[in-house]
Amino acid sequence: MTESEQSSVGTSGELLLLWSLPVVSLFWIGAFLAFPGFVQPMPPGLSAQEVAAFYFDPANLPRIRYSMIVFNWFGVALIPFLMLIALQIRRMAHRTPILSYCFIGCIAGGPTLFCIADLFWLIAAFRPERDPALVQLFNDMAWITFTSQVSFLVAQSVFLAMAIYLDRQGRPVFARWVGHFNLLIAAALAPAAFAPMALEGPLAWDGVLSFWVKNGAIALWIGVMGLVVGQAILRQRRQEGAAA
Amino acid sequence: MTAALAIPAPVPPPASRLGRIAWQWRHNPKLELWLAWYTIVVFYNVFGIVFFVVTRTKPPPKAWWGLPRIVEWFAENRLGLLTGFGTIFFMGAFATASTALIVYSIRRMSVSPAFAWSYRLLYSLAAVPGMLLTCIALVAGAMRLDRDPRLLGLLYDMGFLSFSGTMGIFLVGSVVWAVAILLDRNGVLPKWFGYFNICNALTEVVVATCCIVKEGPFAWNGVIAFYINMVVFGIYTGVFITYLKQMIEHEEPERDYLPNRLALL
Repeated sequence: MTESEQSSVGTSGELLLLWSLPVVSLFWIGAFLAFPGFVQPMPPGLSAQEVAAFYFDPANLPRIRYSMIVFNWFGVALIPFLMLIALQIRRMAHRTPILSYCFIGCIAGGPTLFCIADLFWLIAAFRPERDPALVQLFNDMAWITFTSQVSFLVAQSVFLAMAIYLDRQGRPVFARWVGHFNLLIAAALAPAAFAPMALEGPLAWDGVLSFWVKNGAIALWIGVMGLVVGQAILRQRRQEGAAA
Repeated sequence: MTAALAIPAPVPPPASRLGRIAWQWRHNPKLELWLAWYTIVVFYNVFGIVFFVVTRTKPPPKAWWGLPRIVEWFAENRLGLLTGFGTIFFMGAFATASTALIVYSIRRMSVSPAFAWSYRLLYSLAAVPGMLLTCIALVAGAMRLDRDPRLLGLLYDMGFLSFSGTMGIFLVGSVVWAVAILLDRNGVLPKWFGYFNICNALTEVVVATCCIVKEGPFAWNGVIAFYINMVVFGIYTGVFITYLKQMIEHEEPERDYLPNRLALL
């Protein structure tokens, strides 16, 4: 096998993985709109009885269950996309693989924690006859896990930014603004880590900072990174085609 | 590309402090490794301050306390738990730098990449059961003190037992690193540290008793399950951070580096 044939095997199928992103995004958006606790985020100040009434309202219960099943199916579908970013880090002009090791170390964390939050929501919705205090407990655990567990996303954005800044070659894999953008996203995610401190206001899990800014930042990050990763893969394939 | 990977000609650092930092950023050929190493130092310092000072969860409160005392403990430490663990929720994943540098050390050894991969996979999710679940449970308790005391008691147990939730990861992970160090012929890390890894692994055997007993030296706050375990882990962490620093210092860029694209897996 020649060297060019070997390298084309390296990118083979990557565009398919990348195109899976807009497809699974449709499922994410659909599930987001279907879950009645997201479109108008559930206030943390609700009493246990109010939380239980929300869950077991016949208009809400099927939507809670079905949306969380869809999230459970497709939440982890972010991982192949994150792996594409990790492979682009490997193409950067670094002397060591340490930053790609750091980035890969973060990849599974975010989707796993999201999966745990998803299960807490499903458990809360499972048995209408359960004590409302227990329903509230699992609802709290779900929201705390969903909202405040930003560390893997923050760390992967910061490691990616460092990788971009240290990619010192004539034609870097990503432009420097992508590094700045990642640091900005990390900063936008930070307040959500402290969401459990407040039961109302912008910091609370239904507030502007912890819900809209944080989730908006994640959506924006996925969209922008999807575009720049797509550009990088296409350029890589053109280079490989020219080399062949 | 090859030119970008070559070692640049030495440029003398300027005299000013800021100038020296900028020089390191531009010219230090080991910058990537140093960034990872300093991330580890910052992480363990913040980790220590959060657990020992801000949240007062280490040394842990008593496993044998009754519900009224547990409720009181949550009330006393509410602000510390919420701010301290908020800090962990923000930056806890920077611990991956530690795994990354250790994996790098194993990749430089004369052993199969299977060791490095095993270590990486073992530790890649260690933070979830071993640290974040603890924080989530105790934060859930602290955010709503008017919760049924029985549920606060449950969250208290979940918090402190989850902290031992990585027993197997540290047990097997330390042994994997130990065997790699002992088999290595490149002299990346000293042999005695390989044996010390086994010592660290054994503490995870001792700590298992905290899942069974609520009082005495084997409880989660006991002399054996907490204090001896913590002393060994503290020394172990200090030693491996020091040895990783020495590994970076002793590296010769042209000879020892794993280039990014060539370090398959």
